[in-house]
Amino acid sequence: MVIDSAHIASAFDRDLEAIQALIMKMGGMVEEQIVDAARSLAERDEELAETVRKRDKQIDLLEEQINEEAARLIALRAPTAGDLRVVLTVMKMSANLERIGDYAKNMAKRTSILVQLQPVGNSAGSIKRMAKDVEMMLRDALDAYLRLDVEMSEAIRLRDQEVDQMYNALFREFLTHMMEDPRNITACMHLHFIAKNIERMGDHVTSIAEQVIYMVSGEIPDDDRPKLDRTSVK
Amino acid sequence: MNDMRLTERAVQEEKKIAARGVQVFYGETHAIKDVDVDILDKTVTAFIGPSGCGKSTFLRCLNRMNDTIDVARIEGDIRIDGEDIYDPKVDPVQLRAKVGMVFQKPNPFPKSIYDNVAYGPRIHGLSRNKAELDEIVEKSLRRAAIWNEVKDRLDAPGTGLSGGQQQRLCIARAVATSPEVLLMDEPCSALDPIATAQVEELIDELRQRYSVVIVTHSMQQAARVSQRTAFFHLGNLVEYGETGTIFTNPEDPRTESYITGRIG
Repeated sequence: MVIDSAHIASAFDRDLEAIQALIMKMGGMVEEQIVDAARSLAERDEELAETVRKRDKQIDLLEEQINEEAARLIALRAPTAGDLRVVLTVMKMSANLERIGDYAKNMAKRTSILVQLQPVGNSAGSIKRMAKDVEMMLRDALDAYLRLDVEMSEAIRLRDQEVDQMYNALFREFLTHMMEDPRNITACMHLHFIAKNIERMGDHVTSIAEQVIYMVSGEIPDDDRPKLDRTSVK
Repeated sequence: MNDMRLTERAVQEEKKIAARGVQVFYGETHAIKDVDVDILDKTVTAFIGPSGCGKSTFLRCLNRMNDTIDVARIEGDIRIDGEDIYDPKVDPVQLRAKVGMVFQKPNPFPKSIYDNVAYGPRIHGLSRNKAELDEIVEKSLRRAAIWNEVKDRLDAPGTGLSGGQQQRLCIARAVATSPEVLLMDEPCSALDPIATAQVEELIDELRQRYSVVIVTHSMQQAARVSQRTAFFHLGNLVEYGETGTIFTNPEDPRTESYITGRIG
């Protein structure tokens, strides 16, 4: 369990709160990156894509800061039990968030190329919806973290399957476009990587949700989630 | 899922001490409330808990040190290797040779280093001649990891050693009577960090031969040296389990609050 009441050493509470405030700040920035990257693609907004690419640096810096603070907290306070699990969770979450940020940056990079090419079907709309879903999952995972909510985290793990399904649908769609007209191949390859990036974001959000379960209960969920559609791995 | 944890410290699951329904009263004060616990052989068991929680009181039940306190009354059943230690036929002096004790403050006798260690074996008649006694003294000092530091001055007074050396001398004195259980009541609280590390290393070695029970105020020390941890609170044994589990995922909120530094 994680206990809410204060430590006798109030500086310990301040340290823990500070590091958790950093993770929330990082989470908020990453959410914004997902939304903006998807919007830049849907609206073919090169300027916004450039902003997303530049902002990734700040997320990387936050991750470094969180890891440094976590190392100091372990060295100076020797956290145990629930406190220890909070620190371990924060460290893993920051790594997950940093990766999600990287995927958003990569989406923006590909968007800069895609705006030079002929649009393919209405896949940008599907990608935007998929990105929106992942962003909501992330928001809920951060919420579950703040509320120490295991049930909510379990639900997020299941929602990742929907993202996987959307990815598989897009995969088939891109394949069709490429077979129809080889001139679509360049755009479809970039779009496919974007869809794959979002699908990977969903996996990192799932990992965050699992970390929350570990933080609260002390146990990592180990039952494998069933893979429903194996289109893309055949 | 995890059959074998890297950081889990393996122990033999062989019981040494079995306590059932132990109650201790100091006059009106109910100091220990219905404690059941099995302490394992060749294992370091740490008793932790806030001041006045009963951990030292319970430790002192294990070699009947509470007998020396007039107002203390003990109920329940404590067995070492199945033998009831509160049986009227048991001689407390013999019991204490079998269940050695090391105290908070190093308390060597105002005698030579040699005599400090030889005292127990002499009064218990454990040696037939001087050569045998010499051997016991050397073996005990070696087991307490202090032989190399004192072998050239066995006639020097024990009180002239440094604090950490004195404590190891007291451990040598405790092991000289070939005990099976070693009780340690905050053995490092008067020592500096280096001497503490030496005593902790020694405790780990002693575990090869003895069942070691240590009372400590330092939770980090409990985490470092023990394989089993028992948390006492207001005279109750709240939680008892594998040390790694107690320090990462304790079951009872009182344990969690105490080890994370929230309530006393």
